[in-house]
Amino acid sequence: MSPHLAEQLKQKGNSQFNEGNFDKAAVFYSQAIQQYSSNPLLYTNRANARLKLGLWSEVIDDCLRSIELEAVNNMKAYYFLAQAQFELRHPNEALTSAITAYDICSRSLTQTSSAFAIATFVIKCKRAKWDLRERDRLRRRSALLSELESHLTHTFNNDLSEVDQRQQSGELGTIGATEEKDALTKTHEAKISELRSIFAIADPGNMAKREVPEYLIDAISFEIMHDPVITKNGQSYERATIIEHLKRNPTDPLSREPLYIPELRPNLALKKACDDFWEGNHGWAYDCGVMTFTMMMMMRDWSFWDDTPFERFWFRCICPWILRWLLRTS
Amino acid sequence: MFASKRLGKELGKLHEHIAPGITLVSAEDLKQWIMDIRVLDDNPIYKDQVFRLKFSFSNSYPIEAPEVVFISDAQHPIPMHPHVYSNGIICLDLLDKAAWSPVHNVESICISLQSMLTGNSKNERPPGDDDFVRRNTRRPRDINWSFHDNDV
Repeated sequence: MSPHLAEQLKQKGNSQFNEGNFDKAAVFYSQAIQQYSSNPLLYTNRANARLKLGLWSEVIDDCLRSIELEAVNNMKAYYFLAQAQFELRHPNEALTSAITAYDICSRSLTQTSSAFAIATFVIKCKRAKWDLRERDRLRRRSALLSELESHLTHTFNNDLSEVDQRQQSGELGTIGATEEKDALTKTHEAKISELRSIFAIADPGNMAKREVPEYLIDAISFEIMHDPVITKNGQSYERATIIEHLKRNPTDPLSREPLYIPELRPNLALKKACDDFWEGNHGWAYDCGVMTFTMMMMMRDWSFWDDTPFERFWFRCICPWILRWLLRTS
Repeated sequence: MFASKRLGKELGKLHEHIAPGITLVSAEDLKQWIMDIRVLDDNPIYKDQVFRLKFSFSNSYPIEAPEVVFISDAQHPIPMHPHVYSNGIICLDLLDKAAWSPVHNVESICISLQSMLTGNSKNERPPGDDDFVRRNTRRPRDINWSFHDNDV
């Protein structure tokens, strides 16, 4: 056990890390841990190296060990933990860890530049969590739709066989039976299409109804806020973005009056409104719109692309699906 | 990292609605945009003229100001204005890092430039224009402007 030797090995690890040799860095950190296992920084550093190597479960082990040793101000451990959990597709856990990291970061007096990255990551986790729930909802919804459709079809088939029976018993002539069957078929098709259109209205593809209200959006990053703060003038911004501005120029973005970081106050009511928005079943209209637009811009340049049924099929059916998939993984 | 995101959103908004006298010419990527502006009143200096602006964005936009210059071609002259050099470089406080605010956006910059032209009555270039244009090799963002008058 030699804290001194461990420190030397850690330095070696750091310089390997800075040169981009993450595997070598991880080896040095491991050797350092063998020398002195009660320094939480050794674990967070190794977690960071392993994060770069994509060893997600190992990152989680290191972070938990580090948090065990130092729970109060271990912002990095929570942040790395969140990233690994996110990669392993546990957005709920990732969000909890990311929020812990963010809270530690915003409590610290020196608002480090990590605040900005962490705030962005928190939004990403929220989005993933929302998307997971939306996928479940879609799955449930389509099950319900198919069940209702099968009920309708069942009734329709019963009605048809009833007509057949009446025809066999001589109550109906051939022409009358055909007319009756046509009428039944029409009613049935109308019912199915009405049912489907009702479900389509509730579909996230119908994004117009799911726009993020303007007052939840940070005027600097144009993102929905996670930790809104209010200025002396009553305008609210996302904490990390306004601080990024104030570090360069301590003036109010709107009035240009002097404004200093300690003068910012949390806007709790607005934070609640943002949280409620995330909890409610609203969509990503704000982003989806832009992404669809960008995608269409990209495709506009392909010369074979014009107004064909194939293109319409692409934009109406395939694009929304791709977008949903992108939002889930990005 | 959030520059492209924010610009994407601005672009989406511009396609929905754009202020009168402002046209989006091209936004091929999220690094450089071309906008056209014209004045809305009948200021004789700028009558029947359309001016072309080039916006260049850094990765830190909107925390950092974009670089905005007038560009000229056969149809688009550089406007005559005591704050606009004949090479298109604009001396406007809000484009300077000291006065830039991240709540500005491409559209609001265009509106500010429109009103800067509308309010002008001097059909002239800034003092020392010839000299500045001949010698300046710096980019607008690296110039330390001194804003000596606020009335133009």
